[in-house]
Amino acid sequence: MTFSRKCVPFTPFDRELSKSTIAIVTAGGVHLRDQEPFNIADELGDLGYREIPPDVDSSQLMVTHHHYDHTDADEDINVVFPIDVLRDIESEGFIGGIAKKHIGYMGYTMQLKAMYEGTAREIANEIDKGSRADAVVLTGG
Amino acid sequence: MKGVPTVLITVSPEVSAQMRPPRTLYPKGFKIGNSLGRPGMRELQKQVLRDALNLLTQDTRPGETITIEYPEYGEQFEPPQVKKLG
Repeated sequence: MTFSRKCVPFTPFDRELSKSTIAIVTAGGVHLRDQEPFNIADELGDLGYREIPPDVDSSQLMVTHHHYDHTDADEDINVVFPIDVLRDIESEGFIGGIAKKHIGYMGYTMQLKAMYEGTAREIANEIDKGSRADAVVLTGG
Repeated sequence: MKGVPTVLITVSPEVSAQMRPPRTLYPKGFKIGNSLGRPGMRELQKQVLRDALNLLTQDTRPGETITIEYPEYGEQFEPPQVKKLG
């Protein structure tokens, strides 16, 4: 396995999970049914992202992504965007709360530089400034 | 921005390692599109999420991928490999 020689951007976590608020950021192409779908017609990929509110009804979420089989996510969005699972472990006291903002984007792009320097920073900023998350769970497709 | 702690759940560990994620859980043999497990398997989904979040409080080596097996997932799949150049 080949690892990059660049440094790993490691941010320490010095809290208790039971007192921490968690956000989800997924590359699985998840968005609300009434939000604009990701543009799968663009062969370069869609650099946008969608904000998902914490009180979302998971039946109102869907996937637009043409680079993985999302049949299972269509049946249960929690297999890539575990919002109901997060609620369950919150009610059990495992985590302290659910962040005020979650993010879905389409993790396929031929515009890596724009994704890395643009979209990723915008998403990090949304989480840092707008979600009050103490930590983030990242998922792919 | 001082940075936000993250943990990644990946089903393509070799591919995602290229992006140097700080903490990573690989639920062994889960197929693409099943990061948390299969549809409706809520107990398994909860366990995967708890295991991922626990990596935040453990002394993992930055960049390390932790592999955990979940027999209740059922049939397992080979993860995609990174294409070798040349």
